[in-house]
Amino acid sequence: MGVSEKTDLRNIMVETFIKAVKEGINLVVVVGDSTSTSKIAPFQELYPERVVNVGIAEQNLVGISVGLSLSGYVSVTANAAPFLIARSNEQVKNDVCYSETNVKLFGLNAGVAYGSLGSTHYAIDDISIMLGLGNIKIFAPSDPVETEQIVLYALKNKGPMYIRMDNGLFPYLHNKEYRFTPGKVDILRHGSDVTLISLGSLVNKAYKASLDLEKESIDVELLNIPSIRPLDRDGILNSILKTKKVVTVEEHSLHGGIGSLTAEIIAENKLDTDFIRLGITEGQFSKAGPRDQIRSYYGIDRKGIYNTIKKILK
Amino acid sequence: MITNEYSLPPDKIKERAKNIRKKIILMNSHAGQGHTGADLSETDILASLFFNILHINKDDLANPNRDHFILSKGHGAGGFYCTLAEAGYIEESLLDTYLKFDSRLPGHPVKQKIKAVELNTGALGHGVSVGVGLALGAKLSKRNYRVFVLTGDGELQEGSVWEAAMSASQFKLDNLILIIDRNTLQLADRTRKIMSVEPLKDKLDAFGFDTKDIDGHNPAEIIEQTNNLDLSCGKPHALIAHTIKGKGISFIEDKAVWHHKVPVGEQVTEAIEELE
Repeated sequence: MGVSEKTDLRNIMVETFIKAVKEGINLVVVVGDSTSTSKIAPFQELYPERVVNVGIAEQNLVGISVGLSLSGYVSVTANAAPFLIARSNEQVKNDVCYSETNVKLFGLNAGVAYGSLGSTHYAIDDISIMLGLGNIKIFAPSDPVETEQIVLYALKNKGPMYIRMDNGLFPYLHNKEYRFTPGKVDILRHGSDVTLISLGSLVNKAYKASLDLEKESIDVELLNIPSIRPLDRDGILNSILKTKKVVTVEEHSLHGGIGSLTAEIIAENKLDTDFIRLGITEGQFSKAGPRDQIRSYYGIDRKGIYNTIKKILK
Repeated sequence: MITNEYSLPPDKIKERAKNIRKKIILMNSHAGQGHTGADLSETDILASLFFNILHINKDDLANPNRDHFILSKGHGAGGFYCTLAEAGYIEESLLDTYLKFDSRLPGHPVKQKIKAVELNTGALGHGVSVGVGLALGAKLSKRNYRVFVLTGDGELQEGSVWEAAMSASQFKLDNLILIIDRNTLQLADRTRKIMSVEPLKDKLDAFGFDTKDIDGHNPAEIIEQTNNLDLSCGKPHALIAHTIKGKGISFIEDKAVWHHKVPVGEQVTEAIEELE
């Protein structure tokens, strides 16, 4: 902690791509007219031959990435998450996952990052859909340090991976000694009153809410979930066993995200616990509008998290 | 330079194709299921590829400079397996396990089960994009291998094929050879009655392909036309291989109903006798 500046996670992603090539990783980045979405320019200036732009054709984007991986490259896709998830779903399922190819899918601007552009541009089902595909690892970085760690892990290890990325400026939640471990929860704050579980873009909101609550002597245990598959079920279980109160918060449908996964853990272990899930209401499309207002509407912002924790502690 | 480990002349390939067809009949009737029409349609193309055209050696599949083959029409798995058995890539006895529980030979090919399989196909319209990626990979890493993708003709109704075609030409992939098993039938009926892909040669030409019509049952022609391709012309290649679905067995030939049907009882003997 203590680093006050904020950084766009995509810039960290691209800087890490550059670092990886310098380390000798044979990387190629495939974009679908998404050179600005992916902020790939600094990489492209250094390594123009390592960027392939396939135009507006997501099925082909994933198929070509698979072919490049079969020819020996570490293949990275970088385009908007909603189009990656929905338009190229079958290529992801068969050519990346079922065929177990070495493709790293970066779903950019996930959640409701596109704000006023509306549901065509939201990816609030990406975790749910990726969990439905047998084997793909699913990661979501919460800050610049974790982004670098996750990108390096993805590039250095074989197999299909999906990395849920966000846009906008993100504060630092970790110091540079932090090490991302797949299949491990990251306990950002230890506490005993309530377990607060979040991932990706909302972890910093959850962190701020926990600071607000600290002023009222409410002791929040904050679990950041950078690794959704593999999932540290024991890490989550142990925290809930301790606090017996749990709130999950995600910029994702309440169907099939971290709230659902936590519900599985509670049910399978017959835990006697209070439990509230925050996210986009299941069974309907999200409201559209400025992102902060969407977050406020669904109670997944700092204030909404604060209020929910007060409610669960009553 | 890798060459084909068999490099057989056309008359020998015809004999191999006959053996493959017999295997298809016996394997499918034993399994009680299978895409017999598609398997027989592609047989001469696969035999020409695996016994002559492909620069590939079954004991050296990890070689980064070998040619690549993707069966985009994954439902032709039966014909593919029988070709691999005839060419010694898999044991002949494995064919008896076709479609059985947890077999290495399921109804569509799986790369984790059989080394020569490059992609888990079965959903149509995937192979060309992956072929484009493989061909582009060769260009980017300055290697000389060629990429062959075999599609059906009904498969060309998938939009993803044309996304891939556009990019093959944009990236000047003259190391990509698309072979279309043009048997004019799909699952339900004649392709032209359902959703015509004609004028096919004009379409492919317009997408920037170097396109040729060939006889997909004549190994001499398949080999000659493939050898004659200009691999530095800056254009991807398409061979429209005119075929007959169910080729070789008169009661199966050119009938949509045999897309997913297998010979039973006396039909098996009849089919084998006809092949002799």
